[in-house]
Amino acid sequence: MDHRPPSRLTRRRALATVASGTAVAASGCVGRVRTMSGWESRNQVTLSIKSAPADEDPYALRLGRQIAEWLRSAGIDAQVTPVSEQELFRQVLLNREFDLFVAQTPTRFERPDSLYSLLHSRFVETPGWQNPFGYSDLDANDHLETQRRATGRERAEAIERLQYVIARTQPFTVVAFPDDIRAARSDRFDGWRGADLRSPAGYLSLDRTTDEKSEGSPTTRATPTESGPAEDSSASTLRLAVTDRRGTSNLNPLAVEFRRNGVLTGLVYDSLGHVAGDGTVEPWLAASWSVDDTEPPVARVALRANATWHDGAPLTAEDVAFTYDLLADTSLDSEDDDGGNTEGDGGATGDGAGTDDAEGIPDDEEVPSPRFQGRISLVDEARAIDDRHVEIRFVESTPEIAVRALTVPILPKHVWRDRTDPAALGGIEIGSVTDALVTNNIPPIGSGPLQFVGNTPRTSLTLERFDDHFLVGAEETALPDGVDGPPAFDRLSVRVVGSGVSAVGVVTDGDADVTGTAVGADTVPRIGRSDETDLVVHSRTPPYVVGYNSLAAPLSNPQFRHTLARLIDRSTLVADVFDGYARAAVTPLANTEWVPDELRWDGVDPVAPFLGSDGEIDATSAMEAFTTAGYSYDEGRLVRTD
Amino acid sequence: MGLLDIVLEVVAVVGALHLVSVLAFVGLDRLPTAPRAMWSTVRAANTPLVALGAVLAANGIVRRVGVELSWVVGVNVTGAIYAIEGTFVAAVQSYATPAATAYFGFVYVFGYVYLLTFPAIAYALREDIGELRTLLIAYGVNYGIGLGCYVLFVAYGPRNLMPELVDSLLFESWPRSQLLTSQVNENTNVFPSLHTSLAVTVALLTWRGDSLTRWTPVAIVLAASVVVSTMYLGIHWATDVVAGTALAAVSVAAAERVEAQRDRVGGGGADCRDDRDRRDGRVPE
Repeated sequence: MDHRPPSRLTRRRALATVASGTAVAASGCVGRVRTMSGWESRNQVTLSIKSAPADEDPYALRLGRQIAEWLRSAGIDAQVTPVSEQELFRQVLLNREFDLFVAQTPTRFERPDSLYSLLHSRFVETPGWQNPFGYSDLDANDHLETQRRATGRERAEAIERLQYVIARTQPFTVVAFPDDIRAARSDRFDGWRGADLRSPAGYLSLDRTTDEKSEGSPTTRATPTESGPAEDSSASTLRLAVTDRRGTSNLNPLAVEFRRNGVLTGLVYDSLGHVAGDGTVEPWLAASWSVDDTEPPVARVALRANATWHDGAPLTAEDVAFTYDLLADTSLDSEDDDGGNTEGDGGATGDGAGTDDAEGIPDDEEVPSPRFQGRISLVDEARAIDDRHVEIRFVESTPEIAVRALTVPILPKHVWRDRTDPAALGGIEIGSVTDALVTNNIPPIGSGPLQFVGNTPRTSLTLERFDDHFLVGAEETALPDGVDGPPAFDRLSVRVVGSGVSAVGVVTDGDADVTGTAVGADTVPRIGRSDETDLVVHSRTPPYVVGYNSLAAPLSNPQFRHTLARLIDRSTLVADVFDGYARAAVTPLANTEWVPDELRWDGVDPVAPFLGSDGEIDATSAMEAFTTAGYSYDEGRLVRTD
Repeated sequence: MGLLDIVLEVVAVVGALHLVSVLAFVGLDRLPTAPRAMWSTVRAANTPLVALGAVLAANGIVRRVGVELSWVVGVNVTGAIYAIEGTFVAAVQSYATPAATAYFGFVYVFGYVYLLTFPAIAYALREDIGELRTLLIAYGVNYGIGLGCYVLFVAYGPRNLMPELVDSLLFESWPRSQLLTSQVNENTNVFPSLHTSLAVTVALLTWRGDSLTRWTPVAIVLAASVVVSTMYLGIHWATDVVAGTALAAVSVAAAERVEAQRDRVGGGGADCRDDRDRRDGRVPE
């Protein structure tokens, strides 16, 4: 077949080559060109590592640079590209434009089920933190499904096996769980040590420092006109200095690229349940619920009486049912007009056509929310029974796991039902995205303990206490577990500063009460030098991970990823980058009781040990490992055919 | 306390510097007629002034919209810059001393503002209409091209790319200054260095002009300090500085050309001058 006359295309290509004056074509040997064209040249493996710059994330870029250096020692052409966190999330979570990324995950992995949405291959096509790696492993899928419905020994085994699969196939590499470091002033507010400032509950648990004069009484309402960045230093304003500016221009709880841990939106929006200190899900906006131990389970949720939205509208069961429909598919099957969904016989679930399309909306693309998919995938159907009661049918799962679905934010139907149309830019619809996902949602109408006052995009945000919230004036017995009353502040003001060092400086200067985002270990001496400022360190944090894009060669090869992971020396990273303020880990569940002893970190990774020692790559071992994996070297460069 | 205090601080310090400089380099004798002189000069230079105002207004918009736009259409050149110069800025910082940090921090914020505003005031007081116009046009060209580059190129400075090697000396020694600089610029807008280009523009114009000769050494020393400070403080790459210097050269050449054109067409003014020789005498460096 090599002697078949060249096809027109080939001839044209050859002529083009002649025209461009390449030596081979100039020799006139067209047949040879064609034969050679089957053998593509081998190029050095090129990987770009994306991470947020030092201003926004104290560690990510340093991790990326050190890892890139190790990759280069193994003959890989590795580059670090700093991109803003918002852009990083957009490129990685929405567009999948990445090879490697270094970032802190939003979840702390305190429950094994948090791995379900992160790694199950059913989410490969779903944007957001749903399998952003494009990872698919049938064994992992099996274990993920088993741990959802099994209990006891069977579940423990599935979770154990799952961690082995992850450690071997490396959809992402867990680097370390960093300490959450903050500077906080105790002259106006205290209770910092017990407060988890990565969750709304942490801010609600703060106390006013006792010797404070009580001029800012709880009933003082701000006048609507003063909506600028609150510069007032009255004791009742809690002032945050943050390095993450996204919350000042977007408060959409569904916009994944704008949310780090969702603290601000978590204060504005309530959920039915909240995660209490012991990790269980306890009623919050719900007065109570009962979960039938049927298969699959069903929850009957009673809402608190007199719940209202920030705009004064009553919060009803209809809003709850609507929220679950919307999060599952933000287009709500736009083909139907809204009335078809809502004015039914109480069985309105968004599936206007009835029960036979419970699997989804036929002939119409679903546009799920890029956040909360793991939890929403637990819900089969949510139905308003009357104004205050909702029935939620789950998919096959144990009740303990199922109730996690009750922690998604509840959205007002009267605001969000108009956001189900495809998003348009200047009247032109763009892609399969709905208004619900792209709206900046300012002002946000929630039902949470804080309501929106004003914002200056990229600069500041002010929230104030919502006095119709159930926490205000509630009796001791009616309060949710772990919360002892309404917020201790009348207002919460957020001010954006350029970097962690500045945030600490603003706090030590007395211009803010706390760093609203975690700062780097390099600021610890600075915090320590200030007399009025406390160093607050928490160890319950999400890990930093190196994510791999498994949809593109060579990262699609698990063996390649495994070998890459062996180029990362966590001990060195913990010592040099985190200054010791972090704990290296092998598995994402390292902080739970679900880790098998063999997968505990004890200075080395038992599954993917570092190919070198003391932070130095042993080039020979690295070359051997990649050669064994099927790759080859050309003058010290790792090469592959494109 | 916050942004307003810093702005007031800058206004106070720079105002004091101006006062001293006016006395030293413009002379007391001009002060009685100063208000009228300034008014007529500014009126004569109103076209470039309005143009510069428009560019600065656009700057405000570009800072808000341009950053977003930049991520869509721009090229992330941080890696390329790093590939070119490596850890040069870290080497510059290795000579850091507290005194040098204080000096360069002062120069970067106060000295820079003074350097840019004083010649405009001095030209206005001395009724050097042509020089004032040239200066304003050069500023406008600097900003215009600079903003275009900021949209086309996404680049983080050395302190963001290699925080373990390069300290944010300015923000560490004076954290509140970041309130000011973050108001004026985005951390992705480092290529080219507008601090460099505007400072060098002033130095070039005073050196080539003939009305503020006694101030010229001050301008040159200050401009050189600003240039060094951008790297010393870990804010800009050497590449940004080189590009900024080139931008200054282009701006000065363009502004002089525009002014020469105007002189030829409109018959010029009192300080009409033949600029062709000047343009041929290329910019130093």
